[in-house]
Amino acid sequence: MTGIESGAAGFGQGGNALGRDNYLNHERGIKSWLLTRDHKRIGVMYLVVILSSFFLGGIFAELIRTKLLTPGNSALMKADTYNQMFTLHGAIMIFLFVIPGIPASLGNFVLPLMLGAKDVAFPRLNLASFYLWVGGALLALGSMVTGAVDTGWTFYTPYSTTTNTNVIMMVAGIFVLGFSSIFTGLNFVVTIHKLRPAGMTWFRMPLFLWGIYGTAIIQIMATPVLGITLLLLIAERALGIGIFDPALGGDPVLFQHFFWFYSHPAVYIMILPAMGVISELVSVFSRKHIFGYSFIAMSSIAIAVLSFLVWGHHMFVAGQSTLSSMIFSFLTFMVAIPSAVKVFNWLATMYKGSIWLATPMLYVLSFLFLFGIGGLTGLFLGALAVDVHLHDTYFVVAHFHYVMFGGTVIAFLGGLHYWWPKMFGRMYSEFWGRIGALLVFVGFNTTFFTQFVMGSHGAPRRSYHYQPQFEAYHRLSTIGAYILGVGFVVIAVYLIHSLLRGRPAPANPWGGATLEWQTSSPPPHDNFESTPAVGDPYDVEAWTWDGAVGGFVRRAPAGQPAGS
Amino acid sequence: MTRSDARNGGRDDPAPVESGRLGMRLLVLALSMLFAASLLAYVLIRSRAAVWPPAGMPRLPGTLWISTLVMLASSVTMQAAVRAARAGRERALRTGMLLTTLLGVLFLVSQTLNWFALVAAHLTAKANLYGFTFYTLTGLHAAHVVGGLIPLAVVTVRAFRGRYSAEFHPGVEYCAIYWHFLDVVWLVMFAVLMLSS
Repeated sequence: MTGIESGAAGFGQGGNALGRDNYLNHERGIKSWLLTRDHKRIGVMYLVVILSSFFLGGIFAELIRTKLLTPGNSALMKADTYNQMFTLHGAIMIFLFVIPGIPASLGNFVLPLMLGAKDVAFPRLNLASFYLWVGGALLALGSMVTGAVDTGWTFYTPYSTTTNTNVIMMVAGIFVLGFSSIFTGLNFVVTIHKLRPAGMTWFRMPLFLWGIYGTAIIQIMATPVLGITLLLLIAERALGIGIFDPALGGDPVLFQHFFWFYSHPAVYIMILPAMGVISELVSVFSRKHIFGYSFIAMSSIAIAVLSFLVWGHHMFVAGQSTLSSMIFSFLTFMVAIPSAVKVFNWLATMYKGSIWLATPMLYVLSFLFLFGIGGLTGLFLGALAVDVHLHDTYFVVAHFHYVMFGGTVIAFLGGLHYWWPKMFGRMYSEFWGRIGALLVFVGFNTTFFTQFVMGSHGAPRRSYHYQPQFEAYHRLSTIGAYILGVGFVVIAVYLIHSLLRGRPAPANPWGGATLEWQTSSPPPHDNFESTPAVGDPYDVEAWTWDGAVGGFVRRAPAGQPAGS
Repeated sequence: MTRSDARNGGRDDPAPVESGRLGMRLLVLALSMLFAASLLAYVLIRSRAAVWPPAGMPRLPGTLWISTLVMLASSVTMQAAVRAARAGRERALRTGMLLTTLLGVLFLVSQTLNWFALVAAHLTAKANLYGFTFYTLTGLHAAHVVGGLIPLAVVTVRAFRGRYSAEFHPGVEYCAIYWHFLDVVWLVMFAVLMLSS
């Protein structure tokens, strides 16, 4: 094999490591997991708890949709229970799944590997963040037993300060989760600043790291504002001080300003890492160098900056001045620019590439379609006159599900399937992977496109009862939710099957050029046996399939012997 | 510290000082947002009130000036300590750290006396927004002072045990970043409280 170097033998650190020493078997026993400082194990632990939260939130979603099959009272649940269900669905999905999802699980696992580093900058702080997350999650979920919250995930005052459900416990849990988020962000920023290998300048970093970096900045700067807001909410409930409650002389709009000052940037905490994942996948599965690297990188930063300036678009009908609404509307439209820059660069990357429709790429295509719809309907809602009509209808529900599910969750699934062989050293069934991606795509659109139509006809969101004229839409939407549920069961089954019986994965099953593919699958405890050579992270065309290895191997650069 | 040190250390080794300093600065950035948001909330609440302090309520005590002077002094001794550490003057480092810790405790004592004086004048956190905002802001700051005194005490003990040298004194550097930050926060908070009432 002249000119071609075997990924298994050539680097001395490739191939499959299931039978050898790797991070999964380096130490044994439950204690070695619970007290680990290894970012890979922490990433896997996050993956377990985050997917469990996703499962729980999904159960609530299916129950809500089942109730909505009929417009009137339902034997399944009372109206009060329904309010608690959709609150828990929202709070669990947002705070326990979508916000930490990509950075804490995939990010933790991949970030040091992409840098060719041994670990994050502060490994012990990383473990502490994980336990803060667990503690916060237990507190938040504890409110389910002690009086499940029925305020909606936004905890709007004055209802949240007067309802007799256990708002304090839920909010205290989210307060603790915020610490976890801040420390994770801090850890990642320092890691990216200080642990880049020689030769990896800022503009030779994989784009996923730009996404994680932008996210981390928002986590550090916006989360404290949520912290103080939630503390004030707790104080008002506990002391009866009138900060937000108009009956006590407070200002409810003040709560909304503070809440959205965090929670709007939080939307970008959710989407920026997802965009980072897509930037990696689109190049690898188009077998083509990424198009417009610096535009994609800079648009991440632009989105992070703009995210702090648009919170007021949640409050167009909440009594803020027309002038501020106009300014917020204008700034909201501006977010479309860096978002569209990314989408066009991804499309340009695919253009004339040899597109490989493997499971992760199916999620990329889903993302482009769904995020496109989600983003463009955001412009409808950002326009003042249209928003007055659409506010608090199912149109809004459909919009944010298209962005958060169609954007973040789909990218999370794409990233999970992309890095799965690296994480666990085994391949999943490609056939069932594609079936799963297809079911999720069809189920998702059936559920939520219907809600766009219903919402534009004026169907109000959140309500237990609804007008009989919307029954057909609701039924279709529920059928979509069931298809979605089946899709996730399929995914869970073949992923678990792959853990036990999957074909051993090569070091580089997809032909990625970033550094994580230059170590074994799964990686050893210290990630790399020797420091990998830093090159262009999108030089995917230098990697070709080698049937003998069962994975991709690097072609030697012209004029140089292999392995140099 | 060079970059290769940062990349090759074990997972349980202390982080290189350059990473640690950046981490501390990011923590300070996060806490700045916390205090900025709190002060903004205070200003908004204050701007809605016609009379501040409300009728029959005491003005903020003049003894807050004593807290301010103590806080300023502690920042000066902290800076003296970090300079001594960098120059390898161990004795000056010990004196500086010890004084900073004691001044930090003194600040908390002074604040507690201020709170007692106001409670005695029937201003409680539950009385009205004037009381609530005052106790919340000063309490939030005091909580962070308590959080700073713990590492300050640890570093002082270590300084007395001769653990630090001109080349290696990360704890002193981290304490300095955090303590100066608390000083700045207090000065801003004090100014906002005084000017608004």
